Amino acid sequence: MSSGNGGRPAIFEAEGIVKQFGGIRAVNGATMHVEEKSITALIGPNGAGKTTFFNLITGFYRPDAGRAVFAGREIQGRPPYVIANLGMVRTFQITKALARMPVIDNMMLAAPDQPGENLANVIFRPFSWRKREAEVREQAMELLDSFNLARLADEYAGTLSGGQRKLLELARALMARPRFLLLDEPMAGINPTLGRRLLDHMQRLRAEEGVTFLFIEHDMEVVMNHSDRVIVMAEGKVIADGEPHEVRQDKTVIDAYLGGAVVSQ
Amino acid sequence: MTELLPLVPVGVTFDAFTDIDFWISVGILAGIYTIFALGLQLNVGFTGIQNFGQVGFMAIAAYSMAILTTTPDGGEGINFWISLPLSVLITIGFALLVGLPSLRLRADYFAIATIALAESVRLIALNARGLTNGAQGIFGFDRSWDDFTDGIRDFIVDIGWTDVPNIFPLFLVTWVLAIGLTIALSRMQRTPWGRVLRAIREDEDAARALGKNAFSYKLQSLALSATLAAIAGFLFVINIKFVVPDSFLPIVTFTGYAVLILGGLANYWGVAVGSIILWTILEGLRFMDLPLEETQIAALRFILLNLTLILLLAFRPQGILGKREEMVLGE
Repeated sequence: MSSGNGGRPAIFEAEGIVKQFGGIRAVNGATMHVEEKSITALIGPNGAGKTTFFNLITGFYRPDAGRAVFAGREIQGRPPYVIANLGMVRTFQITKALARMPVIDNMMLAAPDQPGENLANVIFRPFSWRKREAEVREQAMELLDSFNLARLADEYAGTLSGGQRKLLELARALMARPRFLLLDEPMAGINPTLGRRLLDHMQRLRAEEGVTFLFIEHDMEVVMNHSDRVIVMAEGKVIADGEPHEVRQDKTVIDAYLGGAVVSQ
Repeated sequence: MTELLPLVPVGVTFDAFTDIDFWISVGILAGIYTIFALGLQLNVGFTGIQNFGQVGFMAIAAYSMAILTTTPDGGEGINFWISLPLSVLITIGFALLVGLPSLRLRADYFAIATIALAESVRLIALNARGLTNGAQGIFGFDRSWDDFTDGIRDFIVDIGWTDVPNIFPLFLVTWVLAIGLTIALSRMQRTPWGRVLRAIREDEDAARALGKNAFSYKLQSLALSATLAAIAGFLFVINIKFVVPDSFLPIVTFTGYAVLILGGLANYWGVAVGSIILWTILEGLRFMDLPLEETQIAALRFILLNLTLILLLAFRPQGILGKREEMVLGE
């Protein structure tokens, strides 16, 4: 994607996204954009519709109305695998480690362009995929190494601790070579040391590979100190967005989200 | 449970146990159930789809083959060897047709839907007399097969085994296929394709989020499993020499599951091991020399087989070749 015209262009835009469950409008006309190569936080009180919004824009739910555009392509209503293959990859609030598969297989699974995933190739061209497989294994080991998980490569993913699973899920998502990564509460349930490492990885990936991040987070310290932009949702809508210091002083945000309390310095 | 008895080749009597023919026919059954349950292993053990309609695919294949190779007046239809691949294609077509709507269901509903479908196939076979000859069944589809096995037997006689049993060629073909298919499937499991299937078994949403079209892979798994059921179905009806609806009761699928549990989930070699053990116990128990009626002995055989299964589940819940870690990690 070109980044020619000075400021950061949006890699992702959503307009008027609506999702109704029975009588409840979980997402009620959410509109936002995410700048390319930014680290953007998505915050909001519980029940604001953040995770539902993630599910809507990654194809896990079908929106009742609205548009979502990623890198110039309309993606609303497309199935999850199509969206992921376009380079928009998500993780889950509750980690989805593939428990009865080794860590290395979790990683290698995510690699794109593997001809060996095609049944016809497996049967009729049994050697067509081995070269790619070797490349993928090497990439996977490098990534695991950078996440300090290399020594666990052959362990079942189900034996990992909660924090290690979070790291594995991020590392695995990176194997998919994403341009835009959506992380649903990446820091939840992991110790501060691992959390710091995860944030460092995000910064490094943005700097070195130009990955854009949108992450849902409740830890205000993390949000205020580690994101370029903050988008605030409440009751299914986006009520504010801007740089962290702007959002922190926004009256609507303080009312809706913080219940009037002052954000700690 | 007595429905299983017709599967045992006719002519086996209580004193037949000194005869090698008896154990060869047990071996044929074990081989057929190996191929049948390999499909279940692919679905249940490696893709996480609970296919309870395997016998339905077997029935479709067996009936397709029998209907294609014969005519209603007892004449010959199309060539037997051509009918086999055609019947496999028909079965795959049926599996895709069944899978398209039902694989969108949640796992437990899929299991129910597949049982119902398999029973529908059997009931249609029972009632569509014009096509299937109803409960009378279809005979005479295996003349080309007999010529083929005569050739094998002549060859064996030539190399020196002069009193080779008539059913030995079928035993040979069954086990060559069973072992060949086990090797093929084990290899496929170690490809990236097999890795995607396992990922779907573990967590379908995670696989989808990583760019895998889970639905398409589940359809592929089901279609391949139906192909294995088809091969098992051909051997099954060749073995008993006729195609009747009663051969395709749900108990066949359930026996396949018993083989799967006995041998261990997520291990293709476990299927052959489970099948051999199950059929050896079940048929070996015919030798029990007890002062009981024949029907009581028959019932007792199943009681003892099931007791074996219960003991196995108590002391080795992962099955004979299954991995305990995998079972524990699977919640």
